[in-house]
Amino acid sequence: MANKKRKVLLVGWDAADWKVIDKLMDAGLMPAFKSVVDRGVRGRLATLDPPLSPMLWTSMATGVRPYKHGILGFVEGDNNGAIRPISSHGRKVKAFWNMFTMEGLKSNVVGWWPSNPVESINGVMVSNRFQQEKKGKETIDLEDWDLEPGNIYPESMTERLSELRIHPSEITGNLVMPFVPRAIELDKKEDKRLTVIAKFLAHSASLHAACTELIDTTEWDITAVYHDAIDHFSHAFMKFNPPRMEGMDEEAYDLFKDVVKGAYVYHDMMLERLLSQIDDDTTIMIVSDHGFHSDHLRPTHVPQVPSGPAIEHAPYGIFVAAGPGIKKGEEIYGASILDVTPTLLTMYDLPIGRDMDGKPLLDIYEEKKEVKYIDSWEDDERFGGEIVVAEQVDERTNEAALQQLIDLGYIDDLAIKDGQDGDKIREAQLKATVKENNFYLAKSYASGGEFDDALELLLELEDRAKPDFRYLIEIVNASVKTKRFPLAEEYINYIRKDKLMADNFLDILEAKVQIGLNKPGEALKLLESATKNYPESPNVLIDLGKILNTLRESEKAKGVFLEAIRIDPDNPYAHHGVGAAAMAEEDYETALEYFLNAIDRFYQYPLAHLHLGETLAFMKEYELAKSSFEVVATIAPTLPKTYRWLYDLNEITGDTEKAKHYKSIIAEFDLGERMVITGLPGKELNDVLQQLKESDRSIFGADDLLGNDLDVTDQEWLEKIKEDLIYIPLGFIGSLPSFYSYRILFVEESIEGVTDFFNKRMKLRAGTFNKEMIEAVERQERVGRTWLNQQPNLDIIYIHQGEELNSELVQKFISN
Amino acid sequence: MKDKKQNEEVVIMFKGKPFKVPPGGSLGVLALGNIGIRAWKKAKKEYQESQKDGE
Repeated sequence: MANKKRKVLLVGWDAADWKVIDKLMDAGLMPAFKSVVDRGVRGRLATLDPPLSPMLWTSMATGVRPYKHGILGFVEGDNNGAIRPISSHGRKVKAFWNMFTMEGLKSNVVGWWPSNPVESINGVMVSNRFQQEKKGKETIDLEDWDLEPGNIYPESMTERLSELRIHPSEITGNLVMPFVPRAIELDKKEDKRLTVIAKFLAHSASLHAACTELIDTTEWDITAVYHDAIDHFSHAFMKFNPPRMEGMDEEAYDLFKDVVKGAYVYHDMMLERLLSQIDDDTTIMIVSDHGFHSDHLRPTHVPQVPSGPAIEHAPYGIFVAAGPGIKKGEEIYGASILDVTPTLLTMYDLPIGRDMDGKPLLDIYEEKKEVKYIDSWEDDERFGGEIVVAEQVDERTNEAALQQLIDLGYIDDLAIKDGQDGDKIREAQLKATVKENNFYLAKSYASGGEFDDALELLLELEDRAKPDFRYLIEIVNASVKTKRFPLAEEYINYIRKDKLMADNFLDILEAKVQIGLNKPGEALKLLESATKNYPESPNVLIDLGKILNTLRESEKAKGVFLEAIRIDPDNPYAHHGVGAAAMAEEDYETALEYFLNAIDRFYQYPLAHLHLGETLAFMKEYELAKSSFEVVATIAPTLPKTYRWLYDLNEITGDTEKAKHYKSIIAEFDLGERMVITGLPGKELNDVLQQLKESDRSIFGADDLLGNDLDVTDQEWLEKIKEDLIYIPLGFIGSLPSFYSYRILFVEESIEGVTDFFNKRMKLRAGTFNKEMIEAVERQERVGRTWLNQQPNLDIIYIHQGEELNSELVQKFISN
Repeated sequence: MKDKKQNEEVVIMFKGKPFKVPPGGSLGVLALGNIGIRAWKKAKKEYQESQKDGE
């Protein structure tokens, strides 16, 4: 049993963003929030894709990704063939309030999305529809404003909490004035912008009143409250926030420029009250599920597709924690929304499920925290609460909640117009909802690295009769990730032929396919053209930088990534790109700095940790390198290269037990050792290959010096080669998969020898000088050598002439 | 924290200081949560009754 004296107040502010908060704290406008930051730790919470709040807040409350927890969008099908707002029925796993109930801890949970109908937990639960004042399209008058069943557990609390609600009609002009100082110039009843401010304010005030009441009047171990108002205020008014966006009407800007600021300040005032209710023994955590673009990254256009407004969401939410045992005035890095529940569990010394996708944020603690693990909370059959009302919600209440989502632009208008067949329309709506949720499920798979599952689902969903560009983009991306390049090409051709997407955007997509097909030159052309059309798009610049890195145009790549960082300083991929460019140039100090930047911005980024580990290994910081590779092994356990590094590094540092452990892991996936001959094409290499061809060993590629018949885009290309010896041109050496280990025979060739070879091949006079060709050959050699030097899974010897092949050492090396 | 009537105004104590609750409400009142809203509803009711009394 956990110690009951430990208390946690968890405050959720949907879409709260550090860029806005930091400015307001600096201006002295969020003193309560600042007081928590000053006496605790702060950090950023990486969001998940798709960044849709019901999915995210459920991930926050469960520690698992949406494809595990089952909440997949804003709406769901009910048992009567209609649709309804997403409810607690859809959640397939336990939330922290269930775990705490099982442990005898008392929870107050207020407004969590989705939490309707409520569950019979040990404590009190107030659903996310508690504050709803509408039924169908109609607003219920204050006098008739009853609370539906399923909103409060235990029911005995209903009357007391219900009386604390504020109806939007009660919000007077002087309450709106702090948000819109010139509100008096507008007609409150006619101007919808004032109406929505009143509604957002009433809803948050109602939830806050319920929360403060429960803190004051109940015994509790954890109180968790969720407010959606910052998200709603931001979607409606961030476009008016200073600085004025290009094209924004000056009058409208002047009227509404203070609304977002007002929303944050109001939340700070509510926080001040909460802080006054807790003592020093209570830990407070403030979190958000994603950020919100407030600067030059604000989109100028919101796509007219379901969940289109999510384009305004920024990829990092906020995290603040303060209380006993928690560090003071420090910043933590690499946190994700998936980490909230595991972290909460550690605060009560409760075990973390190994099936959780999140990790506990142990860096927040002043002293080392021992973490307990169990396989899963799902196997524990103790009572954790159950949904108290089954499918009894008034249909009109569902309609009202749906209407709110329509107003926010998250779902399409569902109204059935006169003369339309209602049943048919409802059936179509249900079908569309199931399809849309499956699309989010596929995106969630992709976000979790489960690209095969994502692709399978997307191919099921895709309908050529009703093409949807969002599905097509994801199909191409998942095809590329799973190396199904012909499929990706098929879709690119289909999209281009049927003109389903703007050419420039399609070029960006096609470039990814060309990269996969090992045609970086083609990809470069496409991306250079796209960059001209989207010069301010960090994503396009990042794609271009990646190509340049593939082509080992490191200086150019660095410039492109730095430009992306100028536009979006928090982009982890741009920082990683600079690091990769520096690593290719063996500038390890710079690489280190930028890989750390990338990890700071996105902790769950295996490639950044892997490259950081490699950089540290090259800098001979072996212990730190080991730590980085251990992180990779945790977040991406299927990367074989990680274990080869861990084996090598533990051998170097004399940690034989660990080396043995990693060797045993390598043995599980290692496909064996291959003997590879490589080098730049020329006389010496040709001599060596012809000599080997005449020996009793079988050899692949001896007569294909340029590798024309080699198809490294085939996932199993190396497995298909059965010969003893394999010739791989130096230009393809980076394609060797890490599931094998290698012995490499590198045949040195002078640049003159290579140009001589090409000139003869092109039937030109020997010695013809071609500057571009020489530069290309030199670059290829530099790239190949750097790659070979940076791999953990190969032994290499170098020879300069065909004659050296017969030396005892080389013969032994080849025949080993 | 307790409510008291002062010259027809409802006043609540927050952090040891008196906090006036106008019948029209204020952001500060809303931010006080349960105590603010109860006091505001009371202030509104008293104001409405005083208006009736004055008629």
